[in-house]
Amino acid sequence: MTLDAYVLIAGFMFCIGLYGVLTRRNAIGILVSVELMVNAANINLAAFAHFGRGIDGQVLVLFTTALTVAEVVVGLALVLLLFRRRKDILVDLANGLKG
Amino acid sequence: MSPDLQPLLLDALLAGGVLLLLVVDLFLKDTSKAVLADLTALIFVGLFGLSFAVDTSGSAFDGAYVGGEWPLFFKRLFFAIGALTALGSRDFVAERFMRRQGEFYMLLTSCVLGMTLLPGAQNLVLLLVAFELMGLPLSMLAAWAKTEDTKGQDRDAAEGGMKLYVVGAASTGVTFFGLSLVYGMSGHLDLAGLAAAPGSPLLTLGMFLTLAGMSFKIGAVPFHMWVPDTYQASPTPFVAFLSVAPKAAGFAALAAVFVKGFGSAAAVWAPALLAITTLTLVIGNLMAIPQSNVKRLLAFSGVAHIGYMLMALAIGTGEATGVLLFYLAGYAATNIGAFLVVNAVGGRDADVDIGLFNGFSRRSPGLAACLLIFLLSLAGIPFVVGFWAKLYVFIEAWRAGLGWLVFLGALLAVVGLWYYLQIAYAAYIRPPAADREQPVAVDPRTRLAIGVCLVAVIGMGAWPSPFIENALAAAKAFIAH
Repeated sequence: MTLDAYVLIAGFMFCIGLYGVLTRRNAIGILVSVELMVNAANINLAAFAHFGRGIDGQVLVLFTTALTVAEVVVGLALVLLLFRRRKDILVDLANGLKG
Repeated sequence: MSPDLQPLLLDALLAGGVLLLLVVDLFLKDTSKAVLADLTALIFVGLFGLSFAVDTSGSAFDGAYVGGEWPLFFKRLFFAIGALTALGSRDFVAERFMRRQGEFYMLLTSCVLGMTLLPGAQNLVLLLVAFELMGLPLSMLAAWAKTEDTKGQDRDAAEGGMKLYVVGAASTGVTFFGLSLVYGMSGHLDLAGLAAAPGSPLLTLGMFLTLAGMSFKIGAVPFHMWVPDTYQASPTPFVAFLSVAPKAAGFAALAAVFVKGFGSAAAVWAPALLAITTLTLVIGNLMAIPQSNVKRLLAFSGVAHIGYMLMALAIGTGEATGVLLFYLAGYAATNIGAFLVVNAVGGRDADVDIGLFNGFSRRSPGLAACLLIFLLSLAGIPFVVGFWAKLYVFIEAWRAGLGWLVFLGALLAVVGLWYYLQIAYAAYIRPPAADREQPVAVDPRTRLAIGVCLVAVIGMGAWPSPFIENALAAAKAFIAH
């Protein structure tokens, strides 16, 4: 596969993730979508590093993976908190708070 | 400590402070945990003092971190904000979250640690790690009101925290993807190497995505929808922190990546930044007018102030960046003071309706005068710090040939005066409600924090020159390095 193919796949994945973040109301769905966006970036980094941009990109992939894991832990904790208080996990970014 | 790690001395000590808080918390009974707030404030004040005594210039980790004037300015700002927040939070947190105080201050301190690492980062890896270290504790703290309060606001807090988290996570994803494209086009992760990249469509796309991702964090329009909801739902002393510290850190990151990294490609990103600036100024000011909840009003006023700061960032010169630093410092002192007064008036309520301010001047004349000065500073009236901050930004914008933006900014500052004075009108003209005639209770530490903010606002307003010179020197060192 060429570099172009990797970047195209990554771009496609990123768009799916972004669409998911903007349209999903279920918090788990949003978390999955964010994961798609970050992994699209990881594909990019690894592909660019492989095709002659030096090892830096591979190193950053390790860091972003670790950061994302930490982020998901916090996210799932918040999902649990939300569920215990409300019995649903819907998040509506566009609307104001509902009492 | 080896000479190589000297620039990170203050950050290393702060990391020690995080661990210290965690350990001390284990040995305290729930009823005496309020002392942790004093310990936190002490750590920050100590580091603030130490920052004048030690030399933190030079570079560490093979040039990934560079100390000097620029990071030092931000560190002092963050230490001061941290100390004021800890003092202002003490009684509020002790009363509402008695059993979870240790974690509150531990997370607050580690959040500040991420911020202090950020401005000196010269490498995207360190920049992203510091950014996350700042961002994750913020969403936890925003959702902090969990069990101990019984008035139904806990549900809001979970939702407000979730919103901050979702927006933060999505913006991180967008920033990662943008930076991955930038890395692919330039082949470098260090900021100096980004500048050398030849222009290409993918690089432009990467820049725009990075700009969008970072604009989420500072709450610039059109990425601002989380701001009012999170402010409304979160513990008010924490909102004082949230409304200033992450914004300053976000501007440090934006300045590092754009003014420095992409400095040579300013012709590409400056128009986009100007568009965001204009939108932020207009929407922030206009949306603040109809708000009847003071926390939401101050949230939109914060969005408007972000607009003025973005104006300075978009100009991108050394002087304008110095003005941005001065604006950040002035805004921090003013906004923390304002939110602490709001917290005192609101008491335990998360919602603070403007009606609660009725007759405030008759109930507590001193506190009302403080609030009035903070509001005048936010509105930009001479001779408090907000006036000089706005004036310097306008002067720099005028010099850069952005006359129309100066005109728009000045016009919207007048609009701002209208909604700030609504609060002052309630406090000074309207009579107090029959059941609210007693003075507002303020604990001594909040009093101290408000006093420090007041001195800073008036001091920087009366003698702005030493502060602006310090800020300009820091910006000069930043641009020159």
